[in-house]
Amino acid sequence: MKRSVLMLATALSLSLGALQAQAAVSPLDLVAPIAQYKVYVTKELDAFVAATKDFTDAVKAGDLAKAKTLYASARAHYERIEPIAELFSDLDGAIDSRADDHAKKEKDPTFTGYHRIEYGLFVTNSTDGLAPFADKLMADVNDLQARVKGLTFPPEKVVGGAAALLEEVAATKISGEEDRYSHTDLMDFQANIDGAQEVYTLFKPLLAKDAKNEAFLKKVDANFASVDAILVKYKTADGFESYDKLSKKDRKALAGPVNTLAEDLSKMRGLLGLK
Amino acid sequence: MTSHPTSPHRTSSLDRRSLLKGFGALGGAAAGMLGTAAVARADDISSPVTTAPESNRTAERVDFYGVHQSGIVTPRPATGMVVAFDVLATTRPDLERLFRTLTERIAFLMQGGAPPKLDPKLPPADSGILGPVVVPDNLTVTVSVGASLFDERFGLAPKKPRHLNAMEQFPNDALDPDLCHGDLMLQFCSNTADTNIHALRDIVKNLPDLLLVRWKQEGSVPMIAARPGAKAESARNFLGFRDGSANPDSADAAVMERVVWVKGGEEPDWAANGSYQVVRIIRNFVERWDRTPLLEQEEIFGRKKASGAPFGGHTEQDVPNYAADPKGRQTRLDAHIRLANPRTSATQANLILRRPFNYSNGISKSGQLEMGLLFIAYQADLEQGFITVQKRLNGEPLEEYIKPIGGGYFFALPGVSGPSDFLGSALLAPGEPT
Ligand code: HEM
Ligand SMILES: [Cu+2]
Repeated sequence: MKRSVLMLATALSLSLGALQAQAAVSPLDLVAPIAQYKVYVTKELDAFVAATKDFTDAVKAGDLAKAKTLYASARAHYERIEPIAELFSDLDGAIDSRADDHAKKEKDPTFTGYHRIEYGLFVTNSTDGLAPFADKLMADVNDLQARVKGLTFPPEKVVGGAAALLEEVAATKISGEEDRYSHTDLMDFQANIDGAQEVYTLFKPLLAKDAKNEAFLKKVDANFASVDAILVKYKTADGFESYDKLSKKDRKALAGPVNTLAEDLSKMRGLLGLK
Repeated sequence: MTSHPTSPHRTSSLDRRSLLKGFGALGGAAAGMLGTAAVARADDISSPVTTAPESNRTAERVDFYGVHQSGIVTPRPATGMVVAFDVLATTRPDLERLFRTLTERIAFLMQGGAPPKLDPKLPPADSGILGPVVVPDNLTVTVSVGASLFDERFGLAPKKPRHLNAMEQFPNDALDPDLCHGDLMLQFCSNTADTNIHALRDIVKNLPDLLLVRWKQEGSVPMIAARPGAKAESARNFLGFRDGSANPDSADAAVMERVVWVKGGEEPDWAANGSYQVVRIIRNFVERWDRTPLLEQEEIFGRKKASGAPFGGHTEQDVPNYAADPKGRQTRLDAHIRLANPRTSATQANLILRRPFNYSNGISKSGQLEMGLLFIAYQADLEQGFITVQKRLNGEPLEEYIKPIGGGYFFALPGVSGPSDFLGSALLAPGEPT
């Protein structure tokens, strides 16, 4: 089983080397999967708004324990649809930027959103002073929902989103720097992978129409499966183990399929005839 | 160092000459610029500021195929980079795919040529750093393996070279675990740093499922003006001293056979014509060094700074006579070169071939310059070579100015005989364990 995947992989790298102009998919073919994707995004956003409400309510009520438990699962909705959310860079910065993005790091007044509250909850270990951040976060998340509603989804952003999510994982999740205060990175990790897999699954039937893509699809499927298989080992009743628990061996074992998925999914736009 | 026609890997000097001639007027102009007479006026506006700097050496090519890998006794070009990797393969077939792909990529990169043109809607096959046609630019990529590759993963334990272990901690070391060891080590050398980067990016892109970068260090050595007919000069390190003066003669195949290349019989059969490689990132405390009197600097090394000559000699090629100086009146007994090579008949067995670069990495937390020596050495016997020499150096006065912070022990694989062979083929061949 394993071996045949390998052989396919070798064959694939050869055939990709010789890739020439693709039989382009007609733009009409893209309409249905994009509409389906919009449904997915809308559902995730609705859930994100509701979860953010619960989360910010807990913060404002001074319920530290509850806020801590809600933090990771609320974010997951955002991480699944990040390629779309990121289209609004002002909101993405307000909701999801990290201390590094700000000159004065944690002390910077422009540092707001989930990670700012994460810092308060998990480092300062208190909800003191977090209420204004909670209010602003709720307002920003509502704004995001409203803006996405009116958005026509650009096909190349949707398809490219699968690769973008993998780049996000490769650049910031493998290192454990995204949720550095709470160590809930695995939740984000899984959410990014889920979001990428959703896009991939929606467009896979189109890709499968061309027999030349068979090896490509097999390889991508196998790598998604490898990632999921490792992540599942760390699942707990209400989420995931802390990122510190991830063994060095598994961290490395994740890097291979993640980097390969990033390489392969970066070809998806082109394979679908998109720019 | 001048290129010599006996080197097995280098295009002969004749080829080189005709190759340079091919550049015609351009070559002439560039050669003129190298002369001491060329002085650009401060307000020279003859060409736009961002015009690419010119080199007449981009077509220089080192042979990939040979009994030994290139990049070891090959004359060292101006820039180098070492990159250690974790191998992500988990099975023997995957490991073989790794080595076959590496072979294919390195053969192409060292040869140069046009990468395949893909559908422009796809990511391009090549990063494009060197333009649409990749120039060889004297590139060598040398592949070595670390002790950890011989762990339980691939069943290679019986094939481990006898002295290959994880690099130990010496008394003066402050090793950063994030800068040490690795399953695989690639040494890139070429005329320009960008050529090395191009090669690394190609390899990373082509092997995402099998290799993970672990650490990397770039380096360079200062170039000197060409002086036709003059004796070769060693490049200087960041302490301002010529480094390499007393290196064994890499042009002498018999000496290299003895000092550098592993022979059959002493090691597992597959390892013949490979070599033990030591990489050490050795930080230099340069501010402090620059505040040290010249005489003391010279005594610490045992050589004159300007000429590189040993005490009592005139040129860097001169050989110190320790037998006539048993008390260390001329060359201190604890001088770097005297400890490193006491030049007795017994210590002849401890010779190593050094091929270092200088590195510079920003600044330390206390605002000092982070720079030093990217020490790279090759030897047929790691125990007799580097380890013995380093043990003699332990406690040397130079230690006050240096701090090893990373590196590892690796084994440079034997060469690739031709297009049907691949790196590590002998290592991976089934066959009975030795
Ligand atoms: C930052 C660290 C080091 C610096 C700045 C340095 C510098 C030098 C210099 C200037 C020389 C004299 C010129 C020459 O023959 O190349 C020399 C010689 C030598 N060094 Fe080092 N070195 C360093 C570390 C090492 C280490 C770690 C070793 C091996 C364990 C080593 C082994 C040797 C040997 C074998 C010689 C030649 C001695 C002879 O044959 O006379 N060096 N080094
Ligand atoms: Cu994020």
